[in-house]
Amino acid sequence: MATDDRTPAAAGGWSETEDLPGLRSELLEINMGPQHPATHGVLRLLVKTDGEIVYEVKPYIGYLHRCAEKIAEGCDYKQWTVYTDRFDYLAPMNCNFAYVTAVERFLDFPVPERAQYIRVVCAELQRIASHLIALGTFGLDMGAWTPLLYCFREREEILNLFERLCGGRMLYNYMCVGGVRFDLPEKWREDVLEFVRWFEKNKIDDYNTLLSYNKIFIERTADVGVISVEDAHAYGCTGPVLRGSGIQWDCRRNDPYAVYSHFEFDIPYGTGEVGTPGDCWDRYMVRVREMAESCKIIRQALRGLPEGPILADEIKRVLRVPAGSCYTRTESAKGELGHFIIADGGTKPFRNKVRSPSYCNLSVIEKIGRGLMVSDLVATVGSLDIVLGEIDR
Amino acid sequence: MVIVTDVYQKILGAGASPQVLLVLGGLTMALVMALVMAACAIVFTWMERKVAGFMQSRYGPMRVGHWHGVAQPVADMLKILQKEDIIPAEADKFFFRVAPLIIFLGSLLAWAAIPFAPGFVAADLDLGLFYIFAVSGLAVIGILMAGWASNNKWALYGAARGAAQIVSYEIPIALAAIPVVMYTGSLNMNDIVHAQQGGVAGWFLLRNPFLFLAFLIYFICSIAEVNRTPFDLPETESELVAGYHTEYTGMRFAFFFLAEYANLFLVSCIATAVFLGGWQNPVPGVNVAPGLVFVVKATVLVFLQMWMRWTLPRLRVDQLMYVCWKVMIPLSLVCVVGAGIWMMVLGQLAH
Amino acid sequence: MQDRDIYELLAGKLEDAELAWREAGPEAYALVPAARIHEAAIFLREDPRLSFDLLMCLSGIDWDGYDESGKGKSVDILGYNPDGTPETSDRVAAGDLGVAYHLYSYRHDHKFAMQVRLARDNATVPTVSDVWPTADWHEREAWDLLGIRFAGHHDLQRILLDEEWVGHPLRKDYQMPDRWTEVPLAGQPYSKNPFKQDNAPPAGGDDSGEG
Repeated sequence: MATDDRTPAAAGGWSETEDLPGLRSELLEINMGPQHPATHGVLRLLVKTDGEIVYEVKPYIGYLHRCAEKIAEGCDYKQWTVYTDRFDYLAPMNCNFAYVTAVERFLDFPVPERAQYIRVVCAELQRIASHLIALGTFGLDMGAWTPLLYCFREREEILNLFERLCGGRMLYNYMCVGGVRFDLPEKWREDVLEFVRWFEKNKIDDYNTLLSYNKIFIERTADVGVISVEDAHAYGCTGPVLRGSGIQWDCRRNDPYAVYSHFEFDIPYGTGEVGTPGDCWDRYMVRVREMAESCKIIRQALRGLPEGPILADEIKRVLRVPAGSCYTRTESAKGELGHFIIADGGTKPFRNKVRSPSYCNLSVIEKIGRGLMVSDLVATVGSLDIVLGEIDR
Repeated sequence: MVIVTDVYQKILGAGASPQVLLVLGGLTMALVMALVMAACAIVFTWMERKVAGFMQSRYGPMRVGHWHGVAQPVADMLKILQKEDIIPAEADKFFFRVAPLIIFLGSLLAWAAIPFAPGFVAADLDLGLFYIFAVSGLAVIGILMAGWASNNKWALYGAARGAAQIVSYEIPIALAAIPVVMYTGSLNMNDIVHAQQGGVAGWFLLRNPFLFLAFLIYFICSIAEVNRTPFDLPETESELVAGYHTEYTGMRFAFFFLAEYANLFLVSCIATAVFLGGWQNPVPGVNVAPGLVFVVKATVLVFLQMWMRWTLPRLRVDQLMYVCWKVMIPLSLVCVVGAGIWMMVLGQLAH
Repeated sequence: MQDRDIYELLAGKLEDAELAWREAGPEAYALVPAARIHEAAIFLREDPRLSFDLLMCLSGIDWDGYDESGKGKSVDILGYNPDGTPETSDRVAAGDLGVAYHLYSYRHDHKFAMQVRLARDNATVPTVSDVWPTADWHEREAWDLLGIRFAGHHDLQRILLDEEWVGHPLRKDYQMPDRWTEVPLAGQPYSKNPFKQDNAPPAGGDDSGEG
């Protein structure tokens, strides 16, 4: 094998130091393979490094591809909701929400208010749960073992609440086209308010003390993996990745759906507080602050919860969706989750394309991976908060 | 060791030659030390899991052994011993087999000079402290062997990082121990412990502010020597799967594990002997076995290391090197010079 | 700016192209000839009144068998027979392929939707990955699942499926494989309803729509 094209110098004048004449040096090609403790799922990163410094990162995906979009063309609109849980399996309520909102754009009758409020509460609780995992695993990638368990302890509470609500701890299939499946159980509302009060008062400060403002953590994440605003727009990054770069844009505020326009909440964004705007720390901190904002939304939603039905009366056993096409987007925990649905007037969608946030967020790693160290690459992939179920569908 | 050779002399009678007694005594002490290593590995793995559990708001082992899982390490050892011994096909078989032994050896050799109690030291070397630091470097060879022979790029990464880290951090460790030697006037571990008489006020830790700084430097750098978080880059789970011991299974992996916990206790013992008064009683007047005092002090330092592991994230490799070369070494030089000036001014130089 | 106005601007810029404006359901879109899509993309991104800096979604579509009348009589996809063998069909697929682009502008807060129609036997369209780099992976997915070629793409390879996969699964005439390498895919024969002999709802069941 010719070594010429594998030397750093031949590959484009990469090395900052001159290659010593007579000393053969090569780029080391390593595989952070589909099985790896840090790639957050079955993701393969083919990394070419010059010692510790990454020269090129090439992601290979598709290990979790389950052809859900093809299945969508073969089953009813209402039957397919259960597949959406399996996309972002760490935030299934958000995935349900995106799909049912997309289908309801075609229908000419409204969804009951009570159902919308319950949906918002579930989505925000789910956002907190998803961000807890994001924070915990991000800390774990940095070597902080303890915050992960604290985050899981809080997530247990949320999962218990969801289990009382709909019976599932991880995959819910709770929202359906036209409303939600079950009404709130006894005392659920009070327990959620209690959880939110407990979480907001104690836990977020815990994480800030233990991890966020820890000097070593800041050294590892500040100025690392900076995504500029141009890159974020160009590569379609949305969600905390975009907000970490300084853009205060949120689908719930700027392109509202469901009843989000009834609530008041801030949009946290990255300001380069401890480093450059758009670094890993900013993206991490956006998630921490978003959890506090979700608590506000939950409280407002539960206080204003109206009485009424939870499922639209016009939903028949057989749902025919009028013909047309539309792209509908929502703010999932990971970013902008959208469905492009082409309906033909029948019971099955003609085409259902899922635009998942992690798919676009991950593509930016090819651009910003160059020049990072291997440890920084792990940190950056962790800060993008990807879920392979969503990427591969 | 004197006690042991006396026992052998009694067994073998008056005609035994001193060389034979020396060899027998040495072998016995080596065996005792190896058993102590194994025992402390067992005790400290349990302690680590319980400490980790309670810090992480959970219990840790609870079932094996009825009371809080005390027999858990025994169960772990039994499990590891009966695992299949896999050697990768393309691995360099000789070095693959030898590497864990060398790492274990590097740890075992250093135990020879640790004074547990008055008279209870395997080898009363005049060069005790120097010998300990010299022998600790043997582990680097074992790590490089393990990383290279595994035929695994990730193992190679871990080995390269580990070698760089250990070799770099040996310097501030040695420099931080020099003020103590200046006080004592001798490298002999027994002399160092004897020089710290008089309760807590006699500890080298508290005699001199520069010695306090030297203790901190020594403690932090010794954590880096034994690859514990926040310096555990060579074996980071989240980046390198398991670093230089990725390809090891079964008993060979157990050797690495054993060596890590033995090292943990070793550096705590050295710190105790050199800075915290060794087996000297902190409260004069109370009659406590010196060996127990020593072990308790070392265990407190071990607990500190475990506490740090479960609280702090880890440093990146270039930050690690930065800390060593640009922070620790200048500070330790400051300690040496400052301690010397302090002693000269106050007339405390050893004769 | 309303999307109809954006369409007028676009039509004005591409004077000799035959653009069309379709209002189909909740969202209206512009139908752009395939050869002019790159020009349109650059105009939509660069023009300061438009500045579409985000390509939200790029989807491939297979229009074969689409029921234009809106009665839901589109042709079904091929699945598996109850005895486990892949379903086959004699029908020859003849419909167009298509690509849908959904754009958004952060500066002006407006959206726009475009579509392109391609003949089935010559499904090539210029790439827009140099205009919006996010299209890189979206176009690879469209190639992988639908077989739409993007001329000028720097590395048009399969992304979700294995490199050796044959066929484009999201096409309407795609026949399910009965094995992948040596692993049989068409498994046990199954009955559509393993619990009952027919598909009737349970007696006295609630017809409220939770099906």
